[in-house]
Amino acid sequence: MPDEGIYRVTSRLGLFIWPSLQMRRRFAVHFSWAIALTTALVAHPNPLQAMADEDKTTEGGTLSTEVERVPRRSGETGTTIEIEDAAFSIPTAIQNKCGGCHNESTQKGELNLLQSDGILRGGESGEPLLHEDLEQSRLWQVIQHDEMPPPSEIDLTGLEKEQIKTWILQNHKTLNPATKATLPSSIHDVLPTLLLRCASCHGAQRQDGGLDIRTYDSIMSGGDSGLAVQVGDSASSLMIQRIEQEQCPPRELLLKFFVRRPSETEVHLLRDWIDAGAPIGEVRADVATREADPLVTQEDRQHWAFQTPQWPITGQSVDDFVQATLQKNQLELSPNADRDTLIRRAFFDLIGLPPSVDQWKQWRESTAPNWYELMIDELLASPRYGERWGRYWLDLAGYADSEGGISADPLRPVAWKYRDYVIRAFNRDLPYDEFLIEQIAGDELTDHAMIPELTADQVDQLIATGFLRMGIDETGSRTMNFVPERLKVISDAITIVSSGLMGLTMECARCHSHKYDPIPQRDYYRLKAIFQGAFDEHNWKSFKQRKLSIGTNEQRVAIQETNPPLQKRKKAVQAEHKRMQDALVVAILRAAFPDQSEKDRNGTLAALGIADNQRTLPQRMLVEKLQTAQNLPEIQEATEILSIQKKISRLEDQMESIDRSMVPSLTIRALWDAGHPSPTYILRRGEHTQASRWVGPGVPSVLTDGKTPFYFENPFPNGSKKTGRRLAFAKWLTNKNHPTTARTFVNRVWNHHFGKGLVSTVENFGTMGSKPTHPELLDWLALKFMSDGWSIKALHRTIMTSNTYKQSSEVSPLLKRLDPENQYYSRMPMRRLDAEALRDSILFISGRLDLKAGGIPDPVSVGPEGEVNVKPLPNQKWRRSIYAQYRRTEIPTLLDTFDYPQMGPNCFERTVSTVSPQALLLLNNQQIRELSKSLAAEIEKETTIAVTDPATHPATQELTDDWNEKIELTYQKVMSRLPTPNEQEIGRESLTALSKQWNGDEQKAFETYCHVLINSASFLYID
Amino acid sequence: MSEDFALSAANDNENDPAQIYDLSPKATHHAPKAKNIIQLFMNGGPSQVDLFDPKPVLNRMDGKPYPGNVEEIGNQSTSDIGVMMGGQYPIKQHGQSGHWFADVLPHTASMADDLCMVHSMWTDHPNHDNALYKIHSGRLFMGYPTLGSWVVYGLGSENANLPAYVVLSDPLGLPKNGTRNWTAGFLPPVYQGTRFRPQGSPILNLSRQYEQSQGATEEAETLLNQLDMIHKENRPFQPELDARIQSYELASRMQLAASEALDLDRESLKTHEMYGIGPAVPDSFGRRCLLARRLVERGVRYVQIFLEEQPWDSHVDLASTQRAACQRTDLPVAGLLRDLKRSGLLDSTLVLWGGEFGRTPTSQRSGSIYTGRDHNMQAFTSWMAGGGVKAGSRYGKTDDFGHHVVENPVSVHDYHATILHLLGLHHQKLSFQRSGLEERLTGVTPPKVIHDLIA
Repeated sequence: MPDEGIYRVTSRLGLFIWPSLQMRRRFAVHFSWAIALTTALVAHPNPLQAMADEDKTTEGGTLSTEVERVPRRSGETGTTIEIEDAAFSIPTAIQNKCGGCHNESTQKGELNLLQSDGILRGGESGEPLLHEDLEQSRLWQVIQHDEMPPPSEIDLTGLEKEQIKTWILQNHKTLNPATKATLPSSIHDVLPTLLLRCASCHGAQRQDGGLDIRTYDSIMSGGDSGLAVQVGDSASSLMIQRIEQEQCPPRELLLKFFVRRPSETEVHLLRDWIDAGAPIGEVRADVATREADPLVTQEDRQHWAFQTPQWPITGQSVDDFVQATLQKNQLELSPNADRDTLIRRAFFDLIGLPPSVDQWKQWRESTAPNWYELMIDELLASPRYGERWGRYWLDLAGYADSEGGISADPLRPVAWKYRDYVIRAFNRDLPYDEFLIEQIAGDELTDHAMIPELTADQVDQLIATGFLRMGIDETGSRTMNFVPERLKVISDAITIVSSGLMGLTMECARCHSHKYDPIPQRDYYRLKAIFQGAFDEHNWKSFKQRKLSIGTNEQRVAIQETNPPLQKRKKAVQAEHKRMQDALVVAILRAAFPDQSEKDRNGTLAALGIADNQRTLPQRMLVEKLQTAQNLPEIQEATEILSIQKKISRLEDQMESIDRSMVPSLTIRALWDAGHPSPTYILRRGEHTQASRWVGPGVPSVLTDGKTPFYFENPFPNGSKKTGRRLAFAKWLTNKNHPTTARTFVNRVWNHHFGKGLVSTVENFGTMGSKPTHPELLDWLALKFMSDGWSIKALHRTIMTSNTYKQSSEVSPLLKRLDPENQYYSRMPMRRLDAEALRDSILFISGRLDLKAGGIPDPVSVGPEGEVNVKPLPNQKWRRSIYAQYRRTEIPTLLDTFDYPQMGPNCFERTVSTVSPQALLLLNNQQIRELSKSLAAEIEKETTIAVTDPATHPATQELTDDWNEKIELTYQKVMSRLPTPNEQEIGRESLTALSKQWNGDEQKAFETYCHVLINSASFLYID
Repeated sequence: MSEDFALSAANDNENDPAQIYDLSPKATHHAPKAKNIIQLFMNGGPSQVDLFDPKPVLNRMDGKPYPGNVEEIGNQSTSDIGVMMGGQYPIKQHGQSGHWFADVLPHTASMADDLCMVHSMWTDHPNHDNALYKIHSGRLFMGYPTLGSWVVYGLGSENANLPAYVVLSDPLGLPKNGTRNWTAGFLPPVYQGTRFRPQGSPILNLSRQYEQSQGATEEAETLLNQLDMIHKENRPFQPELDARIQSYELASRMQLAASEALDLDRESLKTHEMYGIGPAVPDSFGRRCLLARRLVERGVRYVQIFLEEQPWDSHVDLASTQRAACQRTDLPVAGLLRDLKRSGLLDSTLVLWGGEFGRTPTSQRSGSIYTGRDHNMQAFTSWMAGGGVKAGSRYGKTDDFGHHVVENPVSVHDYHATILHLLGLHHQKLSFQRSGLEERLTGVTPPKVIHDLIA
C-alpha cells in the first residue's frame, strides 16, 4: 500500500488534522488503508474489540471478512507534519466539575474531557464536542441547558459557564473539528446513505435497472446500464451523475417510495469514497466480546436489579418476609378479612367480576376447612380468568384494534387473534418463559413456510409475534412511511421489550448513552439489531406484506364451506345500505329545505363523496347546509327520517351478524425474520441521517457478566433463511439466571394484586427506579416462580393464599401512624374497580352480560356528542369489555372516563383518577340508567318468584317486607354481602320517599334505588 | 437545578405513586405576564401571503413557473404543482403599527395596533394530522399532552367549579384529529381539555339523560350521600373516599356554574352585536368567542376555539374559501379583542390566532383546475395579543415568495416556550416523569423564548 499521498498533520497532542476537501480528492486513491485504521482508532478505544465475532452467514457477503486483520498502528503510515501545539489548557471549571467522570481512566460515556484529543474525539456516539458555531457546540449545549453535570453532581456556576464559553470561543479554530473530518475509508461510511436514499428502488424489495446497493459486491457489480461506481473517479461514476442530475431518486418516486434526495454532504461523502478508491474497509460489527465493555463496569453491575436473584435464607413464604419487616417496625399483620370480603376480593382480582348470588352463597356457606383454596382454584380454572389477566398483558403490549398515528386511524382487522391468543395462554397457564419466547420469536420456532400443514399450536406461535406489532404505526399512511417514522415504530417495540420485560429503561440510549444507568448507546443499537431481521427500516413491510395466511386444515375447510354464500349476502346488504344512506341525505334536505333544487340535492350527494379539503366552495356550502339541517331538532325527530335511520341500523345489524357467522379468515398479523437484515448503525442523537458505528446484535451488557459474546444461529439450517437473533434473545431473556425477567414479571403480578409493586416503578428497575420495599420477598417470588415451571397460576396461589393477601383493609389509628403509606403491607389496600371491572360488573349484575368469548371485536358507535358506545349484540346484551373494539381514536366513553389508558405505545401502569366526569357519567348517563332498570327488573323477577309462592309469602304481606327482600337481594347482587340493619332501614325509608316522588310508582322508585347503589362507594371500591 | 423556587406538582413527581394530581392553583416559576389563554385555532392553514404577508415579487410573477426546484414545494406530488400565484385580495397597511391585512379581514385590521404579528412561524410536517399534533403538543404524533394540558398541569385553575381547560368546538362538527387536539396524553386525565358542547347540555352527561323528577333526584342524592357516609365512617383514613365524595359535590356544583357561565342571554344586545351574534354568518364563531370571554372571566385557565374540520384548507377555490373563513371569524375575533380590552381582561389574557401551517406561493392542481394552494410548512403567520406581548410589533421575515423564513425563525417549540414564559412557566422546568424519561412540552433539544415578542 503506497503511502505517498497521505498527509497526516499531527499535533503533539495527538490531534489529527486532514487537508481540505479538494486536496483530499487529489490523493484520494491511495488513502484507504491508513484512514481505515485511523477511523477505527478514533471511533473505538479498542479496535480489536470492534472486530469481534460476527455471524458470517447472516451479515451478508463480503461485508464481514473471514480473516481478522490487526490494524497497523497509526504512526506507521503517512507523512507527519508537526504543527505548533495549540496553546490551550483545559479550563479549571471542566477539570473540577466534569473531570470526575470524564477522565482518562473512568471515561464515562467514552469521554475524556481532561485531554484535548478526548475533547476532539467526543464521546461514544462519535460526535465532536466543539463547533465553529457556539450554538452548535455539543459541549456548550449540554452546559448551557444544564443537562450536565447530572442532577446528582454539583452544578456549574454562572461564572464557570462563562469561563467555558470563552474558552470554546477562543479555541474553536484550533480545535475546529471540521478540520478533523476523516475521509470515508470503508463501505460502512457510505452504506447508511445508500440504504437511506437508494434502497427503496435498489434494495431488498426492488432492484430497478438490475442494481442492488445492499452489499459491497452488488454495488461494485453495477446494473443494467453498467458500473455504478468508477473506482477513483467519482465524476464519471454513473451513481454520482444520476444523483447530481436528480435522475435518482426519480422525482415521481420520491413520495411513492418515501425517499428524500441525498444532502450535499452525503453526495460529497459518496464522491469522496469513490475517489478514495471505493474501499471496502476493515470494519467489523461492534459486538460484545470476551473483553469487558469499558462503559459498563463490575461496579455498575452491583446495582441490586442487575444481580441474579438469590434464594433468601430468612423465609419460605410471603408472610415470612412481610412479617419480618412488620416486626422491625413494631407492627404485625392485620387479621384476615371476613368471608364476604375475601370472596368479593378474590373474584374481582382473578376474574374481574363479582360472584353471582349463588356462587356467593356457595362459598360463604361452605364448611370445607380449605374453602378459600378451593375457591381460588375454581376461579383460576374459570375461562373468565384469562379475560382478566390477559387484559393486563394487553396493556403492556399496547394492544389496539387500530394502527393509530394518523387521523384515519385504520383498523387492524385481525389484531383480535393476538388478543385471543393471550387470553388462551393465560387460561391454559402457558409457562411464562414459553409465553415470552413465542411472542418474541414464534416465527423462529417453526419453519412455517416449509411445513405444509400446521397444528393449532404452531399457528398460535406465529400469532404470538403480533406482540411486537401492537404499537402505534403510521407507516401505512400515504405520506408517513419515511425512515424516521419506521424507526419510531421499532423504538416503540424496543421500549415495550426493554421496559416491559426487562424492567430496563433504554429509550434514552437511543440518542446518547444513558445518563444514570450503565447503558451505552451501542447497547440500544445492538438490541435494535436483534430485531433487524424482521424490523428493517430499509426493507419495510407494508401493512399488506405483514399479513400471513395461515391456519390449520380444519379452518380451511370450514371457511370454504361456510363463507361464500354469506359473502354474497353481505354484498347485497351493503348495496342496500348505501342506497338508504343516500336516501337519508335526500330526506333530510327535503324536510329542511323544501325549496332546494334537485340538482343541489344530487350535488350534495356528490360532494359527500369527495374528501372535505378537495371540495369546491359551492360543494362545501352544500355539505355545510346538510350538517346544519342534521342538527335541527325538528329534523332529528321527523318520522320519515327516523324510519330511514331505523332501516339503516337494521341493515348494519344484518351486516354485523353476517360477519359474525362467517368463519374468521386465515389472515394473521405477524412478524417474521426475512433472513437478510441490513446492517445496524448507531445513530448519533438518534437521528437517522447520522449513522456512525456499525453494530451487531447483542443484549444490554449490564445484564450479562460482560464476558460472554451473544451467540445466535439460523434455527432452520436446512430450511428457510432466518437470522435466529430474536430466538437467541428470547432464550437469553428466559434463562433462569437472568437478573430481571422473573423479577419484573412477579413484580407486575404483585402490583395487580396489591395496587403497587414491591418495586413501585414497575417498568424501571434501574438506578433511577425505586428500590424494592421487600428485596428478599421479590427474589423469593422470582425464584419460586421459576422453580414452579414459570407457572403464573401457581404464582397467584402463592400470593393469594398468604395471610398478607387475606388481611383486612381496615386502617386503625395505629396503622395510620406507623405505616401511613402501607409500605410494610400492614393491611390490604382498598381499591377502586378499574374501567373494565366496573363496566363488566354493571352489565353482569343487571343481567346484560353475554359471556361469549373471543372472535372479532364488538363494534362501537360514535354518538352526535362524540360519546363512544359499544354496540349491543342482537340479544341486547354486551360482551366483556376486553372484546370491545379498541380503535385508538374511539375508546368507549365509560372506559375512557374510568382511566382506560391511551396506548402510546402501551401502558405499563394505569392511573386511577377521581374526577367529576365519572360522577356525572354514573349519575346522568342514559345507558347507566337503563342498566339500573335492568338490575331492578332482575331483582323484581327473582323476588316475585318468591312472592308468588304462597307458602313463603302470603298475599297479605306488608309492602315494607317486600322492600326488605328486594334490598337484601340488591345488596347480595351488587355488593356480595347483606345490608347492615342501618342500610336496610335507610333503604326502606328512601324507597318509601322515592315512591311518593314517583307518584306511587314503586317500580320507578326501585329503579332509582338500584341506580344509587351502582353509584355508591360500596360498589365501586373493593375492601 | 440549583435555582430555588417553590412549586408543588409541576416539578416534584419522582414517580411517587402517592402524588396527587389536581387542579388547585400552583405557583409559577417566575412572575407571569398572562394568567389565561384564549386560543383561536384556525384549522386548515390560513394563507399567509394572501392575508398578512404580501409579496410584490410573487404578485409580479403571477402565472409564471416557480423559479426554483419544485420539489421544495408543498407535500403533494410535484406533478400537481402549478404556477406562481399572486395575492388574491387587495391588501394594505393599518394603524400605527402598519400591519398588513387583506381586505377580507376589515375588523381584525381595525385592531392592528393590539396585535403582535409573527411572520416567521415554521413547522416540521406538511400533513394536517401531524402538523396539528405538532402545533398542539409539540410532537408530530398522537398521544402527547397538548399545550393546554401542560398549562393546567403547571398552573392549576382559579375556578373550582369549572373545568380548567375548556374546548369550544363548532356545532357543525369536530375539527380534524377530533378530541386528540386537546388530549392530556400521558399526563393524568384530570388535565385534559373538557369540550363544552355547542348545543344542549354543555358537558357530556352534565344533565340527566333520562326522565326523573327533581324531587326524586334530590331523594336519590340524599340516599347516595347517606350510604357513602356510612361506608366512609366504617373506613377511616381512606383519603380516596373523601376525594370521591368531593368529585360528586363538584359534579353538582358544575351543573350550576356551567349553566350560568354558558348563558349568553345575560349579555347585552350590544355585546352580542359586537361579536357578530345574530342572523348572519359570524353568529356561530361569535358565540364561542363570547363564551370564551365569559369563561376566562370566571377563572378558566385555557379556552380553545375550533372550527369544524378545516375551513382554511384551500386546495381549491382559495379566493372564495379563505374569504368564507374570514367572514365566519373576522368580526367575532375583533369583537373579542375589543371586549377584552374594554374590560381590562386583555392585560392578563393571551389571545393566540393561527393555524397549523401556511400555504404555498404556487397554485395547486385539483382535477383540471389550479385555483388553490398546497400546505406550506416552511413559513406561516400567526398573531398574538394581550397577555404581555408587544402590541403593534412584527417579528420575522419570509423570502420574496413568502415561502421560507429568512429572518428570526420561530419553531413550534419556540412558540410554546414563549407562551409558557408569558404564563410564568419555564419550559425546562415544566416536566413530567414517564417511563424513566423526563418529558417536556418543548422536547429534548432546548427551544428559545422569543423575548422580542414580549412587552
